[in-house]
Amino acid sequence: MSATTSNLEAPAPSRINREVLVKWAPLLVLGVLLLLFPALEWLEDFREGKDHIYLLDSRFFSIRNAARIAIAAAPALMVAIGVTFIILMGSIDLSMEGTVSVCAVLFAFMFLALGGTLASWAWIAIPGALVVGAVMGFLNGLVHVKLQIPSFMASLAMGFVGTGFALLLTGGDRIRIEDELFRSLLTVRWLNFPIMVYVALAMLLLAWFIQSRTTLGRNFYAVGGGEELAKASGLNVSRVRIMGFTLAGVFFAMGALLAVGRIGIAETATGNNFMFVSITAVVVGGTALWGGIGGVWNTLIGVLIVNVINNGMVVIGLPNWIQDATLGLLVITAVVLSTDRKSVSFVK
Amino acid sequence: MDIEKLKPHFPWITLLVLVLIVGVVNPVFFDPAGLVSLVADVVPLFIMALGMTFAIYIGGIDLSMQQMANMVTVIATVYLANFGIGVALIAILAGFIVGGISGYVTTRLYVPSFVSTLAMGFVALSIAKWLSGQRALHMDATLRNDSFGWMFGNTAGIPHELVIAGLLLFIAWFLQTRTTFGRSLKAVGAGELAAVASGLNVDRVKILAFAISGVFAAIAGLMFSVKLSGGDANLANGFLLLAIVAVLVGGTPLTGGVGGVINTLIGTLIVMVIRAAMVYLEIDATQQQMIFGIVLIAAIALTIDRSKLRGIVK
Repeated sequence: MSATTSNLEAPAPSRINREVLVKWAPLLVLGVLLLLFPALEWLEDFREGKDHIYLLDSRFFSIRNAARIAIAAAPALMVAIGVTFIILMGSIDLSMEGTVSVCAVLFAFMFLALGGTLASWAWIAIPGALVVGAVMGFLNGLVHVKLQIPSFMASLAMGFVGTGFALLLTGGDRIRIEDELFRSLLTVRWLNFPIMVYVALAMLLLAWFIQSRTTLGRNFYAVGGGEELAKASGLNVSRVRIMGFTLAGVFFAMGALLAVGRIGIAETATGNNFMFVSITAVVVGGTALWGGIGGVWNTLIGVLIVNVINNGMVVIGLPNWIQDATLGLLVITAVVLSTDRKSVSFVK
Repeated sequence: MDIEKLKPHFPWITLLVLVLIVGVVNPVFFDPAGLVSLVADVVPLFIMALGMTFAIYIGGIDLSMQQMANMVTVIATVYLANFGIGVALIAILAGFIVGGISGYVTTRLYVPSFVSTLAMGFVALSIAKWLSGQRALHMDATLRNDSFGWMFGNTAGIPHELVIAGLLLFIAWFLQTRTTFGRSLKAVGAGELAAVASGLNVDRVKILAFAISGVFAAIAGLMFSVKLSGGDANLANGFLLLAIVAVLVGGTPLTGGVGGVINTLIGTLIVMVIRAAMVYLEIDATQQQMIFGIVLIAAIALTIDRSKLRGIVK
């Protein structure tokens, strides 16, 4: 089997080699999807004999729908950016569901206790939630690094603890945040897009800055590219890892804030589904699970791919049970395509 | 006394100590009838944990078990009318196939098992949602009793669930210790590269391990659906954490190679005693998940073989 693969990849001189393809594939996929869903709509209307100009009459390819996709994608983007840093280091963080729930619930408690409107001291709840996220991420990193537990298991366990803690805090209740000023994240629109979309974009730029213009960001790549090498060149890998998990926690908290802003409710279930969606988005965006390759822009593409698929399927009228399986197969395909099989001996 | 020599004995000592503590604080715990029903209640979890043991024994993990069980509850409920007891065969086959695909994706396509099983779990979820129409389904009571009534009930004071659990434990134990396949599992768990070098068909062993894990998840799902007389896509939720905890507290480390199904029996009993203690101490259900999460971290930290982590796990 390995012999045939190397034969297939043999024609190296051509411009389009595997590396280039893997690098641009996510963007290509996104482009194809953006054209595919309107095409399917067009086909359906054409069959029924309705007038339909491709793209112009599309329900999918419209600004209203773009806003809908952006709103759905914003919280997921925050969470996915957080886990991107971790995956860049070659680790994984599966604690996001717990962290998001705890941050959402504690944010709601703080917000209501301090006055319940952004116009009062309750604004402190926002930095407060970010601190909660940082602490959870820090603990997560400590468990992973100090107890030497593989990150997927350490973070999965911490995620369970987080969900349990959120349940303990709420006792299963939902907490409503009805402050108009805070809900303006969703309700106030600039150029057709609600404020939360711009907040998410600002955070994306911040993440990009951290990734490309800070020592910490470069250290993520160094650890992911080769941990032994990074260690040998004097890098304190344990510290980088713990800082990475802490940073991820802050972004999870940001995701929690946007999620609460979107539905106006904080509960234990706020964190549901973030794990699979964010991991899928990161991997589908082209950040390699082995570390060192990719970054936050890949994650943006990945989040958009996932949300475009989810939205497009609804628009063209496919039942929503298909979505889970589609994402499942998508993540497997993405990992397979991004894995250079010659460099991996085996996986567990 | 060397702590490494003591390590294999930790699980049963823990169990004994826990039982004694709970028993002294609350003597009612030793009431035979209560104890039997306590053990009978934990059977579906035990079956799931047995399957998880195979995945962890080779150094992998199966995060799809919960969704697999969910899928089977739906399959069992939907097809009970058509196939009667034959539904058990369909369930087992479904578990074998989905588990086998996870295994194939892990070994042949080099996707780490926590991703491949997570992904296949969502495929199973899709199937469950599709078959159930996203509703909670109910079994027809007479049909259920005709086909699966034997699963629950008592013979000479022994609940049938315990007999089923004992039988499955025996099968798993036999597979693990008395067959070439079991030996191969140990070889793969102890050192995969060495196993490859010695000419073992490692891929086949690993794929089979995941398939077996799927089968046990399916059997657990079948028991759930019969017990609760229905099926839906969320019925078995909450059991993934407990299944992992049961395997790890039992002394099978995340790195694989040692431990096994007997350890999982002890681990499941530990989980059961902790649960009973929490009920007695009036720690309500909302707090249990957090406590088990912490127990899980402690169990991993105590059992994991750190010499094997080098270069494999990040």
